[in-house]
Amino acid sequence: MDKLDKRLNNAFSRRSFFAGAGGMAAATLVAGCGGLSSTTMASGKYTDTDILNFALNLEYLEAQFYLYAATGKGLQTSDTTAGSASTYQTVGTVTPGSAAAVPGLTAAQQEIVNEIAYEEQEHVRFLRSALGTAAVPMPSIDLSFFGPLAVAAGITGPTFNPFASFDAFLIGSFIFEDVGVTAYSGAAGLISQAGVTAGYLNAAAGILAVEAYHAAYVRTSLTGRAIAAGSTSAYPYLGIANQVAALRAMLTVGASAAPGTTGSVETPLALPTSLTTASSIVAASPTNAVGFARTVNQVHHIVYGSPTVGVAKGGFFPNGTNSIFATTTA
Amino acid sequence: MANLETQILDDVIVKSRRKMLSLSATAIAGLAVGGTSMANAAAAYTDADILNFALNLEYLEANFYYLAAFGTTIDKPNSASIAAGGPSAGIPITGSVGTAGTVSGGSKVPFVTIPVASYAIETAIEEGKHVLFLQSALGSAAVAQPAINLGTSWPGLATAAGVSGGAGFSPYASDATFLLGAYVFEDVGVTAYHGAASLLTSSSNLTAAAGIMAVEAYHAGLIRTTINYLDPTGGLGLVTATNQISALRAALAKAAAGSTANPYDTNPDDFGLATFSVSLAGATSVTATRLTDADATNVIAFSRSTTQVLNIVTGGGAINAGTGATISPATGVFFPAGLNAGPNGFK
Repeated sequence: MDKLDKRLNNAFSRRSFFAGAGGMAAATLVAGCGGLSSTTMASGKYTDTDILNFALNLEYLEAQFYLYAATGKGLQTSDTTAGSASTYQTVGTVTPGSAAAVPGLTAAQQEIVNEIAYEEQEHVRFLRSALGTAAVPMPSIDLSFFGPLAVAAGITGPTFNPFASFDAFLIGSFIFEDVGVTAYSGAAGLISQAGVTAGYLNAAAGILAVEAYHAAYVRTSLTGRAIAAGSTSAYPYLGIANQVAALRAMLTVGASAAPGTTGSVETPLALPTSLTTASSIVAASPTNAVGFARTVNQVHHIVYGSPTVGVAKGGFFPNGTNSIFATTTA
Repeated sequence: MANLETQILDDVIVKSRRKMLSLSATAIAGLAVGGTSMANAAAAYTDADILNFALNLEYLEANFYYLAAFGTTIDKPNSASIAAGGPSAGIPITGSVGTAGTVSGGSKVPFVTIPVASYAIETAIEEGKHVLFLQSALGSAAVAQPAINLGTSWPGLATAAGVSGGAGFSPYASDATFLLGAYVFEDVGVTAYHGAASLLTSSSNLTAAAGIMAVEAYHAGLIRTTINYLDPTGGLGLVTATNQISALRAALAKAAAGSTANPYDTNPDDFGLATFSVSLAGATSVTATRLTDADATNVIAFSRSTTQVLNIVTGGGAINAGTGATISPATGVFFPAGLNAGPNGFK
């Protein structure tokens, strides 16, 4: 863990002041009045609203990424406001970094980017609609975090920009989609029986499936383009995606085994080289082919880019998520 | 694609649907309570009944992919299936409940492209693992493999869907027809697990079902993406075929909708790969692919009741077309003798 922390700290040195301050502040907070927080969590005093709002934070992030990639613009203001009864009332800002419409797309590629952007936008709208006055506003989102994230993953070369090309966009998408799948899988079991009756589980499961459709699209595209190129050196993005998966594994506290090994919640992509070798599109347990789940803490570790327990913000969410789960507790 | 008029109409529909949903939890609860209470009143089923229903579908899928990828059924491994990571002992097809049926038809696809061949192999291995996982989870309650028709069922299904050359359709003929065969199954698997999720009482079963549903959605996304790459403009006819298959599934699901419709159901509850028109960040409409099979408003994947799924996989064999009455056991198309199920199970 020390080694990992060091590597991540080095990687994130550009923002180490903020990350460090946030981490320390959070740690102090937990030490000071963390009793309340942990008691609350331990006794399961979160509501279905908290779970849907957790998902809404992730959807805000995904929607901003894909909308910028498709159009060069983010969510409409009306899709980011605070519900009147929400504990959180401040609408965050987006740090766009290099965010822009991805250049050089073929018509077919543009239609695909359009689809995913639309679907994530509608997930934001659906969750806001389902939550009504309890909907949290969009938290501050930092789309310039892709660069530091790529450095942390060991990706060398110029600063990684997911908006630079279609292949770079696939890597940007890869960072999110398998995480989305595992986040909803983990959240599904937290929904109360009343929430099941109210249709929340059905909705969450349905969004989970859509995230898996998206993840499959991304993984199929990366694999197909690598097959067409003929080798992983001719198509470096397959390897880059696997570096991202390895970073996510390191950040997934409690399930940080290397991708594809026992205890991991990551499946590395493979390059099939003949008509008799299998691809590796599906991210699932190698034992029973059941898809993975992550806890709310594990998801936060990834989107904050920090394996440190007690951190309340960082990475894609410079002020933290607008969520009862914002401070990692495990 | 859509002209201005149809787009405005679409926007109106979207907004009015959204308005209904903006009634929020109350509205959703109202919708769902109706459905749930009906479902609860219908039968005293157990988690095992639901998992066994899923197991029947996994027997079907696993045998299809094993035959396509390796030329053998799941219980008779060969060197190719073992080399790809399949179990050397073969997957059991007998269970404590019901008699093991045989699989008719099916043969190895003469694949010519690495992507499609490698996807077939991966999927075969994964569906085989689903069979083993569910058998293990069910233990002594696991049903045996039902009789499965993976041969003559296809021309009938393709003809019913209106697929060009349907009477001679074989998913084992080429890379392209294999993808259409796979297309028939995967989106249905998603809707089946999705519909079942809310019925399960054990949280570990729920987590497992959600995990398998995710894998089915990965498979479905994989198939739809590959068809899109192969036939981006629809010139090869694959897009039209997906639309026809989806329309048939939607019609069969609608015929069995009954009173257990799910809260986010729309009609049709299935979309092929034809593009559609979307508005991004409030801008004018642009064209989008349909790699995700979900409703256009909330973009929540569809879910189906067990009767709806049964009606699809039996080609209408679950519902009497004249009276609308439920037929049990449902038979036809892929399941000539119906499903294997316990006393209160779904068949």
